[in-house]
Amino acid sequence: MSNDLGQALSVSALSFAYVKEQKRQSIISDLNLDVRQGELISILGASGCGKTTLLNLIAGLLEPQAGTIKIAGGHKHNAVGYIFQEDALLPWRTVGHNLRLAAELHHHLKASNETNLQDYLKSFHLSADIVKKYPGELSGGMRQRVSIIQSLLFRPELILLDEPFSALDFYTKLRLESEFYTLIKKQNKAAILVTHDIDEAIAISDRVLIMDREGKFSGEFIVDLKEREPEDVRGTPEFATYFHQIWSALKSNIAYEAS
Amino acid sequence: MKQVSLENKIVWFLYPLPLLCLLTAWYFYTVDSKEHQFIFSSPAQVWQTFLRLSASGELLSNAAVTVFEAAIGFILGTVSGACLGLSLWASRIVARVAKPYIVAAGAIPIFALAPIIIVWFGIGIVSKIALAFIATFVVAVGQAYQGAVTVDAKYLRLMQVFGATKMQTFRTVVVPNSLIWVINAMKLNIGLALLGAFIGEFISAEQGLGKMIVRASGTYDMATVYVGVVALVVISLLLTSLVDLLERRLLRWKQ
Repeated sequence: MSNDLGQALSVSALSFAYVKEQKRQSIISDLNLDVRQGELISILGASGCGKTTLLNLIAGLLEPQAGTIKIAGGHKHNAVGYIFQEDALLPWRTVGHNLRLAAELHHHLKASNETNLQDYLKSFHLSADIVKKYPGELSGGMRQRVSIIQSLLFRPELILLDEPFSALDFYTKLRLESEFYTLIKKQNKAAILVTHDIDEAIAISDRVLIMDREGKFSGEFIVDLKEREPEDVRGTPEFATYFHQIWSALKSNIAYEAS
Repeated sequence: MKQVSLENKIVWFLYPLPLLCLLTAWYFYTVDSKEHQFIFSSPAQVWQTFLRLSASGELLSNAAVTVFEAAIGFILGTVSGACLGLSLWASRIVARVAKPYIVAAGAIPIFALAPIIIVWFGIGIVSKIALAFIATFVVAVGQAYQGAVTVDAKYLRLMQVFGATKMQTFRTVVVPNSLIWVINAMKLNIGLALLGAFIGEFISAEQGLGKMIVRASGTYDMATVYVGVVALVVISLLLTSLVDLLERRLLRWKQ
């Protein structure tokens, strides 16, 4: 399968509908999406347009009604890492035990994880003794950092992020975006970020997709920025141009929602 | 911080006050009246009876029997009840079928069954263990089941993403999540187990604190009745502090 080389995810003709009280809800219809290795893409769209549903389908938490989802290394159980808006750290386990969760479930992950753990803690500016603490003792930003490390230690090919930074304060958010972006690029992993935040989407993506009410992609913007430091990128004129373009495309969806 | 510690000191200082008031009132009410002493006994009589029953070993042997019955019933009932309640998590269909039965069993006044239990198991200690077992079992099933079904969906989703098997999810998420509920069940069950053993003894028994109290009240020996009641209270407090100790060890993350 040499033609698949460099392809992290390939979704084609994907369809999904919830049926609740005889109403079809949150529909994805005939959707196509390709993500290359090392590529970070963002999906923007009105609430309830099916962004999270798409991530759940890719993660295998939902079964599609039609279409195919191919993930590089998809035969492995740990093809996909998933980071949610709210961390899912088990409160009765210390941070260390939470981070060891994936290795506990899959023993072959054990050896490499112990060495990677220290590097990850350093990348996210967490001190080594955090492993002894319980999640309840940490701030929201620290918990979300631990969640991201937990997912990365699972060594997925593709990382899915469902608004992971939205519950954080502005400065924590900027810092975490930067740390995440640097690490993903260093590891050459693919990632899909679902967000409502246009700034965030532009700052850390190679490509921004807009999902419309019909569960299709109605707009695509290749983001090519020289400056990538999240603290500085927002001030550049290119950034303003991208923002204007994306907002124009998104506005029609939001307006539709309001009517 | 300083104010809190001052408040604590005041509270500790005031703790014995209601008890002292009660004892004083009791003393003055009974000190000069044979009639009042006959009906209410007196602090001095209760103390002398306590010394006499302790010296003869009667108090200790009866208390030991009651504690033994309650403890065995408590352990068997709580452990097997918690296991059953947790295992209902495995099958939604079985759990749904079982639910009305759990609710109904919780509503049965178990101690109304005491006479039947004594018919089934005799007047020895087995019937008291059985009563303590039934009372604690029902509570443990209900609490453990609640603990198992109230697992936050985000934890289950994470386990699914991590490709955990159902058994792994059970061990890693469901059981620890239920621990708070099971410990609550244990707290309730200490009282219920003692009550079960006591009521069994009260109805028909050869030994135990319940038997001691029934026999004493039959002869208007109020002092012995009070000694028995206080002994039950002390036992209950001691066992409760044991569970508190266990809770502090197992739920360290909550502090």
